[in-house]
Amino acid sequence: MSRIGSAFRSFFSILFSGILPEDIALEFGYTKAQAAPVARPVEIPKIKVSDGALQMLQVLQRDSRLIDFLMEDIASYADDQIGAAVRSLHSDCRATLSRHVTLAPVIDGVEGTFHKLDRTNTPDPNRIKLIGNVPASGKTDGGTLRHRGWQVTSVNLPALGKQDPAVLAPAEIEVS
Amino acid sequence: MPEYIVGIDLGTTNSALAYVPVSDEPTSVTVLPVPQLVSAGEVGELDLLPSSLYVPGPGEFVEGALALPWNQNPKYVAGQLARSRGVENANRLVASAKSWLSNQNADATQPLLPLSAPEGIEKVSPVEASRQYLEHLRAAWNYTHSGAKFDEQSVLITVPASFDAAARELTQRAAKLAGYPDPIILEEPQAAFYAWIERNPNWREQVDPGDLILVVDIGGGTTDFTLIAVSEKDGELQLERVAVGQHILLGGDNMDLAVARFAEQQFLQRGTKLDAMQFHSLWQQCRAAKEVLLASDESGAAAEQPLTILGRGTGLVGGTIRGKISRDEVRSLLLDGFFPVVGADAAPARQRRAALMEVGLNYAADPAVTKHLAQFLRQSAGNAGGEDFARPTHLLLNGGVLQAGAIEHRIFEVLNSWLQQAGANAITELRTETKSADLMHAVARGAAYYGLARTGKGVRIRGGVPRSYYVGVESAMPAVPGIAAPMKAFAVVPFGLEEGSRVELPQRRFALVVGEPAEFRFFSSLTRKDDAPGSLLEDVGEDLEELAPIEVFLPPQGDGQQEEIVPVTLESNVTETGMLELWCVASDGRRWKLEFNVRERAAA
Repeated sequence: MSRIGSAFRSFFSILFSGILPEDIALEFGYTKAQAAPVARPVEIPKIKVSDGALQMLQVLQRDSRLIDFLMEDIASYADDQIGAAVRSLHSDCRATLSRHVTLAPVIDGVEGTFHKLDRTNTPDPNRIKLIGNVPASGKTDGGTLRHRGWQVTSVNLPALGKQDPAVLAPAEIEVS
Repeated sequence: MPEYIVGIDLGTTNSALAYVPVSDEPTSVTVLPVPQLVSAGEVGELDLLPSSLYVPGPGEFVEGALALPWNQNPKYVAGQLARSRGVENANRLVASAKSWLSNQNADATQPLLPLSAPEGIEKVSPVEASRQYLEHLRAAWNYTHSGAKFDEQSVLITVPASFDAAARELTQRAAKLAGYPDPIILEEPQAAFYAWIERNPNWREQVDPGDLILVVDIGGGTTDFTLIAVSEKDGELQLERVAVGQHILLGGDNMDLAVARFAEQQFLQRGTKLDAMQFHSLWQQCRAAKEVLLASDESGAAAEQPLTILGRGTGLVGGTIRGKISRDEVRSLLLDGFFPVVGADAAPARQRRAALMEVGLNYAADPAVTKHLAQFLRQSAGNAGGEDFARPTHLLLNGGVLQAGAIEHRIFEVLNSWLQQAGANAITELRTETKSADLMHAVARGAAYYGLARTGKGVRIRGGVPRSYYVGVESAMPAVPGIAAPMKAFAVVPFGLEEGSRVELPQRRFALVVGEPAEFRFFSSLTRKDDAPGSLLEDVGEDLEELAPIEVFLPPQGDGQQEEIVPVTLESNVTETGMLELWCVASDGRRWKLEFNVRERAAA
């Protein structure tokens, strides 16, 4: 390659691309410096909002087979057949649930009895839902407790690892 | 000075750790919730560490799913996950390692387990498996007690009273491998008794001098009997362990399994073959059903319990199979099978002795616990009162299987029938209020309490070595080809030799050849309690049991030494930690320790 040609190519390459053409660089004894190792950003596992929900489903399936039960078409089975399965499933689900969340009623009262409310304030809609003959102001002295409500007072779920949260239960293959 | 005393129950199926702070204030024993993998990727705390070890295969679990708070990448899984995954893949599960430590036909230091593992799966030795459980407990302690390092605490490990000296040494070896500094060995029935004392500060009001307490400890895999005598000295009550029973490889797990196998047959008759996981579920349900059906108060409970096997695969309801088990069936299986009503002269069936024993565990040939108990009481006659059989006045029961009240009731019924026939008073139970909650943890709790007692803060049971030991000496008779020279037994350790004491045996000299291993045949007896050390038994009879041989090796010394034969005498001692040791002592004071040869035992 002619020196003029090389000079021009170098000039325009640097001008427009910001680099010296590789063949010219080699010819003049330059070697490419090893790209400085760029510290890879520490991989922070991305936890999506849905992951927690999937994890709960995973746990309920693994320990008490809830998904199997809900996804099965039980229309054709006799009641006592369903009853036998549910009895077992119910105690497993309950144990699983209480292992991972602590449940408590929102109002610890007796259903069917009168429950007093503060007339001066509208009740917190998160906690209390007024039903029936609700006054226009949304404020009332109280009424009959129809449902105690449920709230979770503590959650105890293991930290999410590298498991794929979307797989609720792996397929099982028995090797004979 | 240790801050805590730690008691460890290294069980056949479950292990537990209890601890108590060393303090002048009255303190109570706490059970450690042990962090462990409860499922892949999930660490939870359980009061027990299941004694199961799983050898994970390559790529079997998602990366990081086996991480423990103290170990990101453990080689083995111990505890709950090991147990549950082992049901799905038994080829990689190590279980009942403890039973192998006392197995006369196998070398517990060799990689034997999982017994049925196919080629290519790494096996571990029973000692290594025990070490893994102990190591897990140690790490769990360090993780939960960052301020008080495990190695600086005073640690006790329990073993069945019926463990012989070699099995105790293997347990201690596992502990040493697990990095335990100097664990003290304690017998499980004694630990159960200490737990009772810990629960009953007024225990002195419940027993009197002259009483004889029978402890029946039915663990997961072993059943252990012990007699403790109460006496008085200078106005203080004294306790002395006077007898321990033979090793019975039979426990609560065998009983639950018997019920499950029976139920499985019922399913089979209806054409349903259960797979391993379904059977495991059945086993768990049978355990629970047994507790309901055999509860002390039978009046309110149903006469039968449903057994439900959910369908495999996603067809849960459709595949569900139902069965049931009745009280009468469980009663006949457990009470009549394991605790039959027998006379005080009953004897268990003899162990089968095949010429070529298959490697495996020596399960008790006779499952009748009451027959073993009758035999034990007869063997303990004499030194524990009673002409023909020992007559206990009090009974302490321990073990998870006793949560079924009818079993407890049956043991009383049988014992009392013996005592009544002999004209003795009925036996009294030593009870605690919180009994049922404690059956699983009493041994660990009691071990921690005993640790305190050793520091002088509580009563201590005297006992010493629960057997007498002998070495075989060939008689000096002209050799007859083809006939082994008759063997005599030289008593080296007297029954009841206490911790920290020593016996010299100048009566007999042995010539050891330098540079060659010398081996002694080794025997023990649970029943010969009066042989003075140094005495010679003319013939080795039924009452002596042969153990693993013991051997010693005198290393050749520097070139200048021409010495070839060293005359020695024997000396035995029990260390402060409860380990039996035998030494060869030369006239110039040099000493060599005799070691158990477990390899020989396996080949024998």
